[in-house]
Amino acid sequence: MKEGCKIPRINSPEDLEKLREEILAKRDPNRPCVAICVSAGCSSLGSLQVVKSFREELEKQGLADKVDIKATGCMGFCELGPRLAIYPKEIFYFKVKPEDVPEIVSKTILKGEVIERLLYKDPVTGETIRKLEDIPFYKYQYRLLLENNAKIDPKNIEDYIAIGGYKALAKALFQMTPEQVIEEIKKSNLRGRGGGGFPAGRKWETTRNAPGEPKYVIVNCDEGDPGAFMDRSLMEGNPHLVLEGLIIGAYAIGASQGYIYVREEYPLAVENITVAIQQAREYGLLGKNIMGSNFSFDVEVHKGAGAFVSGESSALMTAIEGKVGEPRPKYIHTAVKGIRDKPSCLNNVETWANVPHIILNGAEWFLKIGTPTSPGTKIFSLVGKVNNTGLVEVPMGITLRDIIFKIGGGIRGGKKFKAVQTGGPSGGVIPEQYLDTPVDFDSLTKLGSMMGSGGMIVMDEDTCMVDVARFFINFLLEESCGKCIPCREGLRVLNKVLTDICEGRGSEEHLRIIEDVTETMKEASLCALGTTAVNPVLTTLNYFRDEYEAHIKERRCPAKVCKALTAYYINPDKCQACLICLRNCPSGAIKGERDIVHVIDQEKCIKCGICYAVCPFGAVEKISPPVPPPVRYGIKVKRKK
Amino acid sequence: MVKLTCQHCGYVWDYRGEREYYATCPRCLYKVRIPEVKTRGVKEKLKRNIIAKEQPTKLTGVAGLVSKVVEEYQYRSDMLIQILLKLQKNFGWLPMEVLMEVSKQLNVPLSYVYRIVTFYKAFSLAPRGRNLIRVCMGTSCKVRGAQTILDRLVSLLGIGPGETTPDFQFTLETVNCLGCCALGPVITINDNYYGNLTPASVAKIIEKIKSEGGM
Repeated sequence: MKEGCKIPRINSPEDLEKLREEILAKRDPNRPCVAICVSAGCSSLGSLQVVKSFREELEKQGLADKVDIKATGCMGFCELGPRLAIYPKEIFYFKVKPEDVPEIVSKTILKGEVIERLLYKDPVTGETIRKLEDIPFYKYQYRLLLENNAKIDPKNIEDYIAIGGYKALAKALFQMTPEQVIEEIKKSNLRGRGGGGFPAGRKWETTRNAPGEPKYVIVNCDEGDPGAFMDRSLMEGNPHLVLEGLIIGAYAIGASQGYIYVREEYPLAVENITVAIQQAREYGLLGKNIMGSNFSFDVEVHKGAGAFVSGESSALMTAIEGKVGEPRPKYIHTAVKGIRDKPSCLNNVETWANVPHIILNGAEWFLKIGTPTSPGTKIFSLVGKVNNTGLVEVPMGITLRDIIFKIGGGIRGGKKFKAVQTGGPSGGVIPEQYLDTPVDFDSLTKLGSMMGSGGMIVMDEDTCMVDVARFFINFLLEESCGKCIPCREGLRVLNKVLTDICEGRGSEEHLRIIEDVTETMKEASLCALGTTAVNPVLTTLNYFRDEYEAHIKERRCPAKVCKALTAYYINPDKCQACLICLRNCPSGAIKGERDIVHVIDQEKCIKCGICYAVCPFGAVEKISPPVPPPVRYGIKVKRKK
Repeated sequence: MVKLTCQHCGYVWDYRGEREYYATCPRCLYKVRIPEVKTRGVKEKLKRNIIAKEQPTKLTGVAGLVSKVVEEYQYRSDMLIQILLKLQKNFGWLPMEVLMEVSKQLNVPLSYVYRIVTFYKAFSLAPRGRNLIRVCMGTSCKVRGAQTILDRLVSLLGIGPGETTPDFQFTLETVNCLGCCALGPVITINDNYYGNLTPASVAKIIEKIKSEGGM
């Protein structure tokens, strides 16, 4: 908003329509616009510099007021960032560097030519693909929520209004009663996207009918799951969508105060939502008498101070009260007694973001997407050892195989798929034989995993399952608040047992301990952190029992990850005596000279793996169990011909 | 008046106070030694000046800085976490004086403030370096080799996770997820993201920061 420009307060749905028409009339659809992703992912690859050099270049060429530059939120394909889109021609460039900017300005923007080398190149066929819909990564997606991320500037409310924003709010406020809104959400069978999959409509109704005033609504953006970042992307890329959903929810529930709880680790998300709230207030979409109706509602942003357990609903509510974020027993659900013992309705970012779409298009439309028990779409962060990493939004019911192999483009480096981990530390791993399972809330739970907030970490044959289980338990051990004993002590025991197994001190007894402890934790823990903490251990033990047994019986790590069970060994037949590994070894454990095959001194070796990484001939091998064949120093090199 | 330089944050200022041995850095609240020789005689003068001047009624020093933040949040004790986060951002860490001042001004017990500070990970009770390095140890970064990055940083800086170099140039921390999982392994240095790292590229980044004299 320019200075001195009067902000039009919206006092009726007609005002909103008028404003939308005004904004659209002001904009020339043929005016070139460059949209550059500046979310945390792309900015780590240098997109901020790209934006800067665009500004400079346009200034230099005297085009500054003829071309729009938009710094947008995440467009999904983080692997090939920084990504930019040039409208109205809809040209998409990947891996753009600041050096490419002058060429883009002079060729694409001025002459309309396409620069081939910046287009998407299919890694298999080597063909360049111009249309976004033809790129396999986007082809199989249904981008209901993420679609607009690439089109709007998250810091500008006018962009959101121009694409039909706040229409759903106007519809809810002026054409529907709160009961009708709840009925619509219930009919659509929208389920909580935070992991549990509890029907949102039922939750809203409970809060609405609970006694006590004021009522609160809360957005949970405390996305602590390692390997998940879809809430961040929505919050950064399209904060008004979440805000609109929240206002509609507040209207339906009858809440007067809302909270948005965002992790402190997401500074950009905090900034964008704060700006969005400020703008919504100025336009009369928040505060007293929203859009001229009788409904008043306001929102406050709370920053989380870095505690994983605070993402749990009751813990989050105590954190908002300014206390230590610890969960409490839920004999009475938080929907009835939440913040300051008042009815509070908490939903995940993605759940709120679905609400405007459902209100605008109706429950029938929503039910057509996905499966009957889990309608709609779900955003997953597809990461790990997969070719195309990034955010994917797919209709529920798609199979894991489609996500990983069609959208994800298969496993990196042509390796073999081993397992996929869903649901963060509370979820479990799913092995290859279940890859054709449809992705929805119930099927994943049946496999011992869960949907979680939507992290999907692909693991290949180089990942040790025992090590993965230990990683999650270690993570949860640090994050457990320590209030209830099954979780606090159970995790400590599990951590010790798994560390023992990884370090080659395992015994049969250990597997029995794991089974005992997990049983207790599942039954007796206070909150979901403890009851689901056993999932990574149980699923790995179920599906990869042979790996546990190899660790225990044979003292061998099949994936060659556990340091205590592996050793590095230079294959005398392959070694070319190039001295590279010798120079790079930090502990001086490699002995060798010109024409003499190098030998690793196992006593000195710290197993850092640098020699393995630097060897150009693949002569350094990892072996497990850590008993290298006897080697003699002084063998002459066998040169390759 | 003495010209002092803070060893912690590098801030240079003219000290006009009456302390004899240590002054508090106005920016980071680190204790700075007052050199012996320069202060002799000056101190006597200063003392006289101060007695002559009327004491200002408004809060000064730490109390003043804290009151500014507390006022912004309308003295609401349910905003304690937000207040502490803001103070931590200002000072880089949370010195004891600040906690005591917060407890006094918000009228909550010090033990309560202390419990919050020790529960949440974002707070630090020890001074931190000028450059805060956060290494992501999330699942995705882990399977892509975050441990080698951390090992490299540890050997480069000579400090373990959670520690600060003696010259206060770097603090090394591990975090659970930075939300850039598609680009792992990832680190942030002072809110700047660096993705797709290798042990060699990390060394280059650190070299660059060191040569720039700590940003």
